Amino acid sequence: MTQSLVDRHDVELAALAAAGGRREFGELVRRHGSAVRGLLRRMGAQPSLADDIAQDAFIQAFERCAEFRGEGTFAAWVKRIAARLYIKRVAKEARYVAEVENEDAAPATDHAGLVDLDEALKGLSEPERLCVSLCHGAGMAHPEIAAALNLPLGTVKSHVKRGLDKLRARLQPPGQSLGGAQHVG
Amino acid sequence: MRGSSRPDSPWGARSMSADEFDPEIERLFARSPLLPDAALFTAEVEQKLQKGSRVRVLALSLAGVIGGVVAVRETMSVNIGSSEGVVAGNALGQGIRSVSFNTQSAVQTGLDQLGLANLELGSMGGMQMFWIAAGALIALAAAGVMRLSQDM
Repeated sequence: MTQSLVDRHDVELAALAAAGGRREFGELVRRHGSAVRGLLRRMGAQPSLADDIAQDAFIQAFERCAEFRGEGTFAAWVKRIAARLYIKRVAKEARYVAEVENEDAAPATDHAGLVDLDEALKGLSEPERLCVSLCHGAGMAHPEIAAALNLPLGTVKSHVKRGLDKLRARLQPPGQSLGGAQHVG
Repeated sequence: MRGSSRPDSPWGARSMSADEFDPEIERLFARSPLLPDAALFTAEVEQKLQKGSRVRVLALSLAGVIGGVVAVRETMSVNIGSSEGVVAGNALGQGIRSVSFNTQSAVQTGLDQLGLANLELGSMGGMQMFWIAAGALIALAAAGVMRLSQDM
């Protein structure tokens, strides 16, 4: 092997994985595992469930790797697979129709006083959190979310709008810009 | 083609506008959390992939062996070159018999060289030939499985 796995681009690794390269796919998991797990947690999944679904999503991605054409990023592609798996799970439990408001949550900051998206998302109702995460985290369009959640389009738009309004209020301490002790994945 | 939401209420001078906020929230979502067990997660996924692959290889090998055994049995039970068969069937039967005879001769030569000249293949019954062929197929499948498992 002339080029190490670390130096290879996601698209190249995905092509090798499509040919059965598990080591190459392992590198993709190493790169994007946390991003997928993080998204599922932001969508409202408990950590253990998020990890289970993330694992299933990566295994499904490996089996369908030939379908990845590199039109978007590999991370976005796996995130969408994971998001759809999670939706299936919550749809079974009919959880997303439940309205759980938590209006009194304090503005979210981490230990360094920086805004924390994960904490701020906890202040949203479950449908708002799910819709905002699907829209801005998994990159799904409103009609796509509506179809996936079997909800009217207007309802999805309303959940996203209200969720963003709440996040805006919570994530913006006076005089501070948004940021955080996280890394781009 | 992602949809966006635009709040109706105006924002104060110190607040971030909706136009500023939407890209900002996307940036926040793009930042993945630093999870301490990331290596463990990767290892678990790799383990699952390996396990799934092994199960698939075994299932395919098993299916291959069963299919091979059935095919050999069916071939041996066909009355090749029957005088009642059609012309095309006779021609095919003669071809197969010819190949079979050649193979038998080659195998017999090999047995002669190994000092097993007394083992006459031509004198063997259908069942003996069936079990020899089945054994050879199973050995081939086992060798294939061994090689695949070494590749994994």
